[in-house]
This record gives sequence, C-alpha cells and structure tokens, in this order.
Amino acid sequence: MDVTWLLFLELLVLGIVAGGVGSLTGIGGGLIITPVLTLLFGVPIHQAIGTSLCCVIATSSGAAASYIEHRLSNIRLGMTLELATTVGAVTGSLVAGLLSREALAVLFAMLLAYAGASMVRRSFKGHVAEPEGEGSYTIKRLRLGLAGSGAAGVISGLLGVGGGVIKVPLMYLAMGVPFKVATATSNFMIGVTAAASAFIYYSRGDVWALITAPAAVGVFVGANLGTHVMRRAPSRWLAMLFSFIVFYFAAMMIWRSLHGGFAR
Amino acid sequence: MGSLSGDKGEKAIALVLRYGALVSTLIMALGIGLALLRGSAGSLAAYHRLRPTLLLSQLMRFDAAAVTEVGVLLLLLTPIVRIVAAVVTFAIERDTRYVLISLGVLAVILLSIGFAVR
Repeated sequence: MDVTWLLFLELLVLGIVAGGVGSLTGIGGGLIITPVLTLLFGVPIHQAIGTSLCCVIATSSGAAASYIEHRLSNIRLGMTLELATTVGAVTGSLVAGLLSREALAVLFAMLLAYAGASMVRRSFKGHVAEPEGEGSYTIKRLRLGLAGSGAAGVISGLLGVGGGVIKVPLMYLAMGVPFKVATATSNFMIGVTAAASAFIYYSRGDVWALITAPAAVGVFVGANLGTHVMRRAPSRWLAMLFSFIVFYFAAMMIWRSLHGGFAR
Repeated sequence: MGSLSGDKGEKAIALVLRYGALVSTLIMALGIGLALLRGSAGSLAAYHRLRPTLLLSQLMRFDAAAVTEVGVLLLLLTPIVRIVAAVVTFAIERDTRYVLISLGVLAVILLSIGFAVR
C-alpha cells in the first residue's frame, strides 16, 4: 500500500464519517471503521482493529470532553464498571492475537448482525422521549452490570468496538440509570476500555501509525462537528438504512472469510 | 452519585482533557504532513515498540513515521490522564473507596502498557 495523499484523504473522510455518526447515534465508530478498512482498503483485520481502537479513543476524547458531558456522566459508576471492562479488554486483546483472520472476521460479522438487529428493533419502537434524568436514582444490579461490562470489555478488545452498544442498554435498562447519564458515562468509559486494548495491539505491531493517524484526526474532527450539529433524533429511515449497511458488511465479511479473501 | 467535585475542578479537568486530545491530533496531523512532504514515509507497518533511543533520534530528524507514531501514542495516553484526574479529584474529596477503584483501573492499564514496552 503506497503512502499517497489520496489514501490519507480517504482515511480522513472515513474518520470524519465514523466520528460524526458515532457521536450522533452513539453507535458507529468501530463498527464502521473495521469493515471498511478490511473490505475496501485491504488492511488485514488485526491491524484494522488496532486502528479502530485508536479511533474509539479519539471519539471518546472528542465528544465526551465537553463540559456538559463531563457533568452528566457518573464517573464513580463508570470507574467501578471499568474494573471489569478493562480486565475483559486485556483478555479479549490477547485472545485476538491468537485467532486467525477468518475467525476474527466471522466473529465481527456476528457482532454486526447483532448491532443491525438491535438497530432495526430500535427504529420500529420509535424514539422514546423521557423525562430529564437529573434527579437522584439508585444503582441496581451492580453485579450484573459488572458481568456485562466484563463481557463488553472482551468484545471491545477482541473486535475493536467501543462497546457502547452493550454498555448503554446495560446501564439504562438493567441498572436504573437515566438514559442521558448512561450515554455520557458510556462515552467516558469506552475511551478507557479502548486504551487498555490498544496498547496490546500496539505491542503486536497491529497499530499502523500512518493509517491510524489520518483516520483518528478525521474522527476527532467528525466527533466535534457532530456535537455542534443540531441534535435531531435519527429518523426511522436513517436507522433502517444504517442497519442495511451493517448487515451488508456482515455478509461481506463472512463471504470473504469463506473464500480466503483475507490472505494478501 | 453525580458530579465529582466543585465546578472549578470539573471545568479544569474538562479543559485539560480537551487540550490533551487536541495536542495529539495536531502532532498526528504534523506527522501526516511530513509524510506527504517527504513523498514517502517508509514502510507502513514500521513501528517502534517504544525504544526511546531510536525513537528520539528519528524525531530529531523529523522522521514522518516517528512523529506520527508519537502522536498516536499520545492519543492512547489521553484516557490515562482522565483516570489520573479522577484519582486526584477523589483524593481531594477524601473518597478513599473510589481512589482505590480508580487506582485499580489504572493498574490494569499499566499492565497493558507493560506488554507494549517489553
């Protein structure tokens, strides 16, 4: 792969799109970056995941650093859950080094399918408007939360995603945390989790700086733009479109791994 | 359970975090710019495994890959700054429990870094 300005530009645009979508919907980022790098750019999946993890950190730093998000997030809860998540992330990252490209691709396709399905369900249920969760609340089912966070950490370290897809529902639905607090706390957490994984990928040489840098810069820009754009609730059609894209990626990755498309 | 401490402390932390990420982004952009200027940046897959002496000499020469690498590493370090900031804030509040929890998270991440330095 030659280093050209065109390559950098494409990676930058990829980053901006991923950062923007990620900050607006809370999902995206890692889910988009890894398949695109693998399928379109021909980057081996381990290195694609390494880049994706760095981009997740960029998302977390870009959007979550805003003062308002910082106030909303429950850092005590986040830290507690992170004990489990980071251990899971280290485990997942180490296991990823042992898996073949095809195996990792199939696992990733399964994650995409799950994300796509939950998105379809979300678009049918419609956007639930809820009262401002500024009041006090009690944390329930901490042990379940820790277990779920550990699992989310393993997935994050294995597949390079932020884990927001799991963490937000976990906090919001199972632990009694108001939706906005759950989202803000998740944004804070995913950066920490991704960092735990990223260093292990880096130690394996799976973080290609010259691919990662333009993508991460793009994500930083996109995430910051996303928070300044008017926050309209994503329309049902947008969510449906997004899930179709995600399902397509999933199918492509399975097809590729079956047909040996990952050997360069 | 809610915000960490007084307004000033939180604002300061948020500012530090934002500028930290910004700095790493600027350095990464600089590295990319250098790569474009030089016309080539060596092997894409080259990485330095945190050998300080080699990295330092290449930084002196404004080696594009090295500069970009440093930017990426700084990016990876920003969440750690966040945890340290939390430890300090919890310590100021004399919240021993969460000082310990945060240190625990920090320990796991340092373990992860340990893999990278070897």
